[in-house]
Amino acid sequence: MRAGLLACALAWALVAGCGPLSQTHRDPGNSHEVATGAPSGQADARITIAGGRVEPPPGWLEVGRGRQVSITVTSDVADEVHVHGYDLVAELRPGVPATLRFTADLTGVFQVETHRSELVLTQLAVR
Amino acid sequence: MTAAGVVAHGVGERSDLPIPIFYAYAGAFAALVVSFLALGLLWADSRFRGDLAGHPVRLLLPARLRLPGRAWLAGRAGRARGIGRVLALLAAAYALGWLLVGPATENAGPYLVYVLFWVGLVPASLLLGPVWRALNPFRLLPDRPRREYPARLGYWPAAAGLLAFTWTELVAPEPAAPATLLLFLALYAAAQLAGTLAYGHAWLERGDPFEVYSTLIGHLSPLGRRADGTRVLRNPFDGLDAVAPAPGLVATVCVLLGGTAYDGLSGSPFWVNALQTAPIGRTGLGTAGLLATVAGVALLYAGCLGVAGLIGGTKGLAGRFAHSLLPIAVGYLVAHYFSLLVIEGRHAVVLALGMDAEADPNAVAPGTIATVQVLAIVLGHVAGVVAAHDRSVRLLPPARAVAGQIPLFVLMVCYTTGGLTLLLA
Repeated sequence: MRAGLLACALAWALVAGCGPLSQTHRDPGNSHEVATGAPSGQADARITIAGGRVEPPPGWLEVGRGRQVSITVTSDVADEVHVHGYDLVAELRPGVPATLRFTADLTGVFQVETHRSELVLTQLAVR
Repeated sequence: MTAAGVVAHGVGERSDLPIPIFYAYAGAFAALVVSFLALGLLWADSRFRGDLAGHPVRLLLPARLRLPGRAWLAGRAGRARGIGRVLALLAAAYALGWLLVGPATENAGPYLVYVLFWVGLVPASLLLGPVWRALNPFRLLPDRPRREYPARLGYWPAAAGLLAFTWTELVAPEPAAPATLLLFLALYAAAQLAGTLAYGHAWLERGDPFEVYSTLIGHLSPLGRRADGTRVLRNPFDGLDAVAPAPGLVATVCVLLGGTAYDGLSGSPFWVNALQTAPIGRTGLGTAGLLATVAGVALLYAGCLGVAGLIGGTKGLAGRFAHSLLPIAVGYLVAHYFSLLVIEGRHAVVLALGMDAEADPNAVAPGTIATVQVLAIVLGHVAGVVAAHDRSVRLLPPARAVAGQIPLFVLMVCYTTGGLTLLLA
């Protein structure tokens, strides 16, 4: 029995140790997070690409199913932005913001990326 | 769209939502603790009998077939398998055709390899046993060994092959590009040809990554064979008990575990960002990450088994507990690939047959996916705890059997925590 108790204690220590770790990736305002829409409202992201760097760094863009999503991308080089799953594409001209607006009607996690520079801009999480 | 850039699982347009954190952890740890305590109290003697167990069954299909070819088929059991292998060869040729001359967009080839073949082998082997052994086209080559397969090589070639495939799927610059897959398949075929010519079919048994993958998963199937070849219906735990320790077995299972773990990691914003800003390049850091994950899984296993050996006063336990990692690996494979098989599997069929249809990307509700994921991981770990417990009451002296399992239990808890954290990340 003592063995079991010890194991329980260890297990909970591990839970306590690891639980918050994953939270940091998704809680708004925490570490590298892209603007996160409130569950009731629409999701809105503004992303800049300069010198092969994505600003803000790629995070999660969470939105409820059926809500409006708007993703504005400004790139310093000519490129193409692509929302996987939804298969939406927009041409990026250097320095000119391009906006993708759509309704989030597919659930899951979808990468938003550029085609030529192959950068992940954000991951759209629709639940 | 060509799947350029970093796409999880080699192909696919979507990945799964994170699962609710509290329920996942609470359920997993409750199940592990309860099973560990119950086993310690109630299960004092080893119950699994490996390849001696099971109820003999006869495959009814050949005897009942009223076809002209019945005698021909039933007269030589090998013929049926031969036909299966020729069909598998034709299917492989069809997939190769797509990869070689298929269109740049909406090419069915990568879907056939990554979804129907690689992921499809998991449920097929879980239900029917070692299916790729029965269908492996390389077994059409004559079994004329020039040398005996070196025993110390064991599963190492398969471990290397599986690592190479995992790298191609998760790290390669363009995993879904036909050229990438063709290169992998050419190297794979060359290795199997050379191995079979040198060592006969004994090579395929240990060296063909896909046959080893399917055979190991097939140990969890209710259909199996005893040591004497009798076809039996058996408790999957008996099948699991029949996994014979061999060099490289731990490495093979750790590659499977580490690969799925890395697959989970590669979707987290932290890692996506690290890959994109890495000074050594995306492929360089990806390779390092994959190798580190596999090494981490293996070191954790070796460390816990070393402590278990110290407590139990027994040496050389590592290989003899490797089978208990197998249900865990299968649990992760199911958790990672369930939605991919259901959603992209349809897409693969639609593309491969040129059907005029769309696969429904909302075919499975997020709640269903999350439930399957948590159940697969938790059941996998509980099965691992049961298998490890049975093995330790057999191998360790009775007074130390329960204490000796504590490191194993800690190992399971670490894996569960790691696996769930990756699903939640």
